[in-house]
Parts: sequence; structure tokens; C-alpha cells
Amino acid sequence: MRDRIAFLLSETWASLRRNTMLQIAAVSTACIALVLLGAVGMALYKLDATAHTLPSQFEVEIFLKVSVPRAQSLEMKKMLEAMPEVARVKLVPREQGWEELKKNLKDDVNLADLPNPLPDKLIVAAHQPEQLPLIAERVRKDPRVDEVLDHRNTLEEVLSVARLVRWVGIGAGGLLLFSALVLIYNAVRLTIYSRQREVGVMALVGATLTTIRAPFVLEGMIQGGLGGLVAAGLVLAGAGVLSDMMVRLWPFLKDLPPGLPPVFVLVGLPLLGSLLGGLCAWWAARRFVRIWGEV
Amino acid sequence: MPNCTGAMIHLKEVSVEYETGEIPALHRVNLVVERGEFVFLVGTTGAGKSTLLKLLYGAVRPTAGQVWVLGMPVHALREREIPFLRRQMGIVPQDYPLLPRKTVWENVAYGLRAIGFSDRAVRERVAQVLAQVGMSTQARQFPHQLSGGEAQRVAIARAIANRPPLLLADEPTANLDPDTSWEIIELLLHINLRGTTVIVSTHNREIVDRANQRVVALDRGRIISDVPKGGYPIELDRLYPPITLL
Repeated sequence: MRDRIAFLLSETWASLRRNTMLQIAAVSTACIALVLLGAVGMALYKLDATAHTLPSQFEVEIFLKVSVPRAQSLEMKKMLEAMPEVARVKLVPREQGWEELKKNLKDDVNLADLPNPLPDKLIVAAHQPEQLPLIAERVRKDPRVDEVLDHRNTLEEVLSVARLVRWVGIGAGGLLLFSALVLIYNAVRLTIYSRQREVGVMALVGATLTTIRAPFVLEGMIQGGLGGLVAAGLVLAGAGVLSDMMVRLWPFLKDLPPGLPPVFVLVGLPLLGSLLGGLCAWWAARRFVRIWGEV
Repeated sequence: MPNCTGAMIHLKEVSVEYETGEIPALHRVNLVVERGEFVFLVGTTGAGKSTLLKLLYGAVRPTAGQVWVLGMPVHALREREIPFLRRQMGIVPQDYPLLPRKTVWENVAYGLRAIGFSDRAVRERVAQVLAQVGMSTQARQFPHQLSGGEAQRVAIARAIANRPPLLLADEPTANLDPDTSWEIIELLLHINLRGTTVIVSTHNREIVDRANQRVVALDRGRIISDVPKGGYPIELDRLYPPITLL
């Protein structure tokens, strides 16, 4: 078995040494495609994580009228807690709200001598983010309520960005991946032609189809795997830059959970490249390595 | 349907038609070759000699009839079964020279390694077979350093390294001078004496006359004569008279 593996590896090495430029082209195209797919994968992972944390981040803020007494505020809190869609309700008394506002604006405005203009505020979290607009609508009709903020637009913005990234990434990455696979297919096809004598000799002496085709499949796996390895390095190096850029565009993303663990990228992309490269090469070998017909 | 005769090779009503050909490459050919025979296939270019050999090792499929080799129904074998047929035979093809980047030793070893021989077995077999064909001293040479006859000896060594019971040689003396041609035929006769059935296609009149073995003559895909011992068939001479230079 050891001698057989050694033979297959030596044949694979011989294949890889032919058509060097084509090998480089196949590896680099696979690399570019996998960089794009890897980056998109990481971005989607982050956006998915965002989507999962949205329920805790997006809450309805209910500002009561200034004239509403504390007892009414507490009664309204109880009413909201009784709603099945509501996960929790927090009452922010006007005194606490005023202290927090003064603290936040202390560098810009001196509010110390002003009377407290704030009403009591209720913060309502729902079990599902989609239920927030429903809660907001119901509460708006209450005569004690002055204003309701449900952050619906922000939620919509994040979800539409996620959709855009997903489709653009999958589309562009898919196209590039297809090009890479065609290049790997072609590289293997040309290698098969350039090694026609070896293939012919193997076929004549009775080597099995698996033995004859295996070096070409290994060649495709190595091409895809190498492309994936370089892509993983580039994706991880670029992840920081990409993350900074996203946080600059949408500051609320900075508190989100961490992105895809690097080990997933380091293992996943070479594995994906290797698997796809191997499949492509197998396809080419199956089509062009025959042992009947004109040997 | 079983191979009823138990012969090494049994062709029953075999026809081969290529899509491009106007006349069939082989037409209703019947042939039996027993174990241990030495057979020349003779005929002009396009007579069907190479097609017949290719039929035997499964490189061409018959459009009609049955091809039995070593008890195996070659006409019915699937592609993945062909290698196991070919391991039972040595093939010296007309148009596959040696691998130019490998030495004589490596060329012979290559075939054995491809069918799973261990390195140790390869070393033993290659040494034995190179000695058998008289090429031990050239083991480290590359094909471009060999004469035509020497290259053909290496091709024969590669074909018999697996000790097959059947050896097929397609025009092994093409492009060789008469003396070297005879040396190659002597080598094949010697291999035959050790028990291997040998089928040689050729249009070399001199070696056929001199070897005095069984001669099967083909013309336009049909067997026109089959002589157990003899020289170049007179039927072919009648059809294609030798050209005499004045």
C-alpha cells in the first residue's frame, strides 16, 4: 500500500510540474473566488449574529405625558407586562432619566439649573423583533402616551444590508468560483493531454481507472486547496479592515458578538477549495481518461 | 455464453465497423489460437491487423460477434473490467514509444508500479526481464540514447515484466533494419518457447518466411488464409504482387 501511495504521489507531482503557468492561473483564480466567498461568509456570519442579537437591542421606548402621575406609569407597566408578546418592561422614572441626560450631556450643555422636563419612560422588549410594531401600535392609542419609538427603520436597514451582502456576495463569488472550477478543469485536461504517453502505458499494462485518474484528481485537490489556503490568509488579514469599515458605517455593530472564529476560515476555505477542485478534476479525468477506444 | 473451446483466443463471427470507414475494419472474422502458439498476422496497411489486436485487449469493441481471450468475454466486458484482462497479457503497441524522461529501468518499472507491484518485487522483476531481453547494461540509459532495436527490446521487456501468458506485438519490426528485425523476432520466439502465446502483426515478408510459424493473412478485414506453418501467403502475393526494382 505504501508503494502504491508513493507511486500515486510521484505521478501527481509529475502532473503538477507540467504547465506551470496554467497551474498558477488555476490556483490564483480559485484563491480570488475563495477570498470573495470567505469574506462574504464572514460578513454574513456577523450579520446573522447581528440579527440574533437584535431582539435584545431593539426595544420600544414609550414616553408618557409629563402630566401622568407615577401611579399611572406603574399601572401601565403592569398592563404591558400582561401582554403575551412582551418579554419584559422597564420603567425609567423621570428623575432617573433626567440624571442620565445631564450625565450624558455634561460636556456640551449645563442642565444643572433647569427644571426636569422629562416624562416617565417605559422600555418594552418583545419575544420576537417582528412583534415590536404591533406593541407600538397598541400603545400609541393610550391617552397617557405622548410618543412611541420602535426603531423599525434601523431594523429594516440592517436586514436589507444583510440581504444585499448575501446576494451580491453569493452572485459574484459564485461566478468567480465557477471560473476557477473551469480553469482547474482545463488545467487538468491539458495535463492529461501532456501526459498522454504515461496514461497510455498505464492503460496498456492494466492499471485500473482509479489508479490512472487518481493523480489528476489529487492535482485538482491540491490546486483548490492551495487557492483556499492563500484565500484564508487574505480573508483573515482583511477581516479586521472589513470589520472596522462596517463599524464605521453602522456604529451599533461594535457591541456585537465576535465574528467567525479564524480556525473555521483556515480549515474551511482550503477544505472547500480542495473538495471543489477535486470534483472538477474528477469530472475532467472521467471525461478524458478512457481505457477503451483508441489506446 | 461460455467459451466452448478453452482456447487462448477465440473470435466468433467478429465484425468491426468504424463510423468513418466505407468498408468494415473486420468482417465476420473467425479465429482460434491455442495456448503456446506463435502466430503472425499479415496483410497490407489497412487490412485489419491492428484492429484485430486491439480487439483482443479491449481497445476496440466489436460491432458484431464474440471475442474470447483467456476465457474472458472481451466483447461484453465493462470498461472497469478491462484492466484485469490486460494484466493477463503483454502489449507492445505500434505507436506508443517509451517514456522519454525515464531511464530504461524506470520505463520497465513504471508499468509494474502502475499495477501495484511493491518496490521490492519491481526491483527483482525489472532486473530479470532486462537480462532476458539483453538490456541489463543499458538500464540507466534514456530512450534517446538507444537504437531502434534496443528501444523495441525495452518495450518488449515492459510488456512481459508481469509474466503474462499472452503477448501481443503490433508491427514490432517496423522501421528496423533486417538484421535487427530478426533479432526482435528471435527474442519473441524465445519468449514463446518459454510458454507464452505470441501474436505478432507484421507486413515484413522476410521475417515471416524465415520464422516458419503459423500465418494468418488478412485483406480488407477478412481472413483470406490461415496456414499452420509456412511463409508469407501466396494469396497476398496474388492480390498485391511484390514490386521488383529494375
